[in-house]
Amino acid sequence: MSRNRTAALRGAAALLSLALAATACASEKATGGAQPSASAGGDGVKTGPGVTADTITLSLLTDLTGPYASFGKSLTQAQQLYFEQINTAGGICGRKIETIVRDHGYDPQKAMASYTEVSPKTAAIPQFIGSPMVTALKAKITGDKILTIPMAWATGLLGSEAIQVTGTTYDIDMINAVDYLVKEKGIKAGDKIGHLYFEGDYGESALAGSKFASEKLGLELVEQKIKATDQDMTAQVAAFKKAGIKAALVSVGPRQTASLVGVALAGGMDVPFVGSNSAYSPQLLATPAAPALLKDFTYVTAGAPISAPLPAYQKLITDYQAKYAGQTLDSGVAAGWTAAIIVGDALRKACEAKDLSREGIIAAHRGQKAWEAGLGGEPQDFSAFDRPASRASYVVKPDKQAVGGAVILKEAAVSDLAKEYSVPAAG
Amino acid sequence: MSRLITWAAVLVAFVAVPFYLEGFWLQTGLFAMSAAVGAIGINLLTGATGQLSMGHAFFLAVGAYAYVSFSDDLGLPTPIAAVLAVLLAGVAGGLFSPIAGRLRGAYLGIATLALIFGGQHLLFNVEHVTGGFNGRAVPPLEIFGFAFADAPELILMNVPFGALERLWFLGGALLLLAALFARGVLRGRPGRAMNTIRDHEIAAGVMGVPVTRYRAGAFVLSSMYGGLAGVMLALVFQRTVPDYFGILLSLDYLAMIVIGGLGSVGGAVIGAVFVSLLPQLLTRYSDALPLVSAPGSGGVSPAEAARLLYGAAVVGVVLFLPGGLLGLLRSLRLRLPSLPTPLPDTRSSHVS
Repeated sequence: MSRNRTAALRGAAALLSLALAATACASEKATGGAQPSASAGGDGVKTGPGVTADTITLSLLTDLTGPYASFGKSLTQAQQLYFEQINTAGGICGRKIETIVRDHGYDPQKAMASYTEVSPKTAAIPQFIGSPMVTALKAKITGDKILTIPMAWATGLLGSEAIQVTGTTYDIDMINAVDYLVKEKGIKAGDKIGHLYFEGDYGESALAGSKFASEKLGLELVEQKIKATDQDMTAQVAAFKKAGIKAALVSVGPRQTASLVGVALAGGMDVPFVGSNSAYSPQLLATPAAPALLKDFTYVTAGAPISAPLPAYQKLITDYQAKYAGQTLDSGVAAGWTAAIIVGDALRKACEAKDLSREGIIAAHRGQKAWEAGLGGEPQDFSAFDRPASRASYVVKPDKQAVGGAVILKEAAVSDLAKEYSVPAAG
Repeated sequence: MSRLITWAAVLVAFVAVPFYLEGFWLQTGLFAMSAAVGAIGINLLTGATGQLSMGHAFFLAVGAYAYVSFSDDLGLPTPIAAVLAVLLAGVAGGLFSPIAGRLRGAYLGIATLALIFGGQHLLFNVEHVTGGFNGRAVPPLEIFGFAFADAPELILMNVPFGALERLWFLGGALLLLAALFARGVLRGRPGRAMNTIRDHEIAAGVMGVPVTRYRAGAFVLSSMYGGLAGVMLALVFQRTVPDYFGILLSLDYLAMIVIGGLGSVGGAVIGAVFVSLLPQLLTRYSDALPLVSAPGSGGVSPAEAARLLYGAAVVGVVLFLPGGLLGLLRSLRLRLPSLPTPLPDTRSSHVS
């Protein structure tokens, strides 16, 4: 028995070393550690991972089955529409754009797995939903140097050269919102204002903004923190009412917004509500809360609503409805479109510089100090990655007749407070 | 003899994997290994001792966060932090075991559910330890100066060895040790005592099995396995986020042992591999599969298809395969006499 075993062990060892020897010559991974990147193509353009002689591969990491499923669907469809149009027009740099869509269902582990799968063959990521997911992968994205547009506006996402938060962050929006309340809604020093927010970085970055602004203006802030799974806001309304607030800020999901504003008005609390850009969705106008929202609710956002009288948006509406007939034009369509253009422009600039490597794409993108694509809002500054690209917010109000369910109430503007606000260092 | 050759072949295949397959496969494999360790733990508790636990995700969280906190906050060397994290998970299980000792069946399940909700509340709110909603970055493990990370660069036979390739071997070794230990427990005296408690608690007591002590012991051991799975997961993930350690994760673990086969190490491993690979494979090959549509094009998305499939697998296993996938493998081998017949409950050294 023992002799048999020794022989077998020896055999196994021999087999093992053979296999290892075979490995060394046959493996595709055997590159000697040299990156396959940065080789020049036939047209003299330096290419990197995700870019071949005739294609550029972009990955959309989205949520089609989780809490942001409808937002994710709009984003993805708008972006696919944009890249299809580019391909029909001949592509970028003589290359067709290919998109890989991966659904992570708002699960950090799945997002991580999808990212590991697609990152070796990706040139840029025009859409990555969810600040928990992007935060979890921030170090990797920064190391891999893949230009990424997160579909989240938390302050913690700043501070990476590869990650571009579009427009304002939540805190800037809330500062502009408080400024709007003071200037136009008669809130004055000494008044109490409420802030309902989600636990997590969305709500907490918004809270950082409202805290800053209310301190500067001498307002008293009444905080109410809820979980994303809470649905009924009756208790929060009661707390606000007891505190005697004169206005409320809302940094939660659309459902909670509807509950808050609806319950408040029904209970006789007729005060202005100002939301973050993720607090509203046009679907709310089909709920019983619609009259209350139309009366008291506005929200602040860096991106113009899709109903803005801009030729670029009118064309988008026509094209989108031609392709996806009967689907809601929510803020995801505009946001996705904008992000797709940002990536498209970065690729074009990189092509001009004859460098489509990942470093080249980021350098081209960061070289734009006043990016503008006829989509409204202030020009965005992409050159510094530790500051928001813009500090100007629109004030927008719900509207049943308008496309996308919202119209501009006040044009984009930077409040004096937002100018002096310095963004906390990213953690 | 033929057994040895099989094992040698498995070993060769295992060693060859990181030289050939890309990061996606390694990561999926590592998630499966971590899941397998956790599943072995819950199989000791639920499968072998018959105590339903819905709180397994909590012990994973304890392991993962304790590792981060011990190594970053207290500055302990990472291997020591990992060991302490596993022990702490065991202590957490031990603290809960007085409750576990008093409750049976579904009542115990509901009590353990409280661990999940309480645990997640802590993860979100004890920010200086857990990092709150955003979680914390996980420091890479470093044993005798060898770091399980992408840097410093290491190239073996022309293949660049990054964090995933290095962790592959560590994960394999830990899984093997965990499996051998559990097998030893299950096949020895304690295993018999645990099975007797599961099958008839009063009879076990009458025969002289210290029921309370064994039940508490099973709970502690299972929590330690959970803690180890948590540490492994954290190392692969490189970030711990509280969202992940929720009720769904606990249910996944129950699904693993039901699908794989209750009460055995092999069953836990097979179930863990099945449950953790299925959604990944469906997502990756969604373009090529019938009925499953690419994300974004409408129809059944891969994530939904995976949920449906593994729901169907649970129902199918419960209805038709009382022994789980492991039982299916065994009966297949019995029917095909050309294959070597494994005698699962035999001690091979005594027979040959």
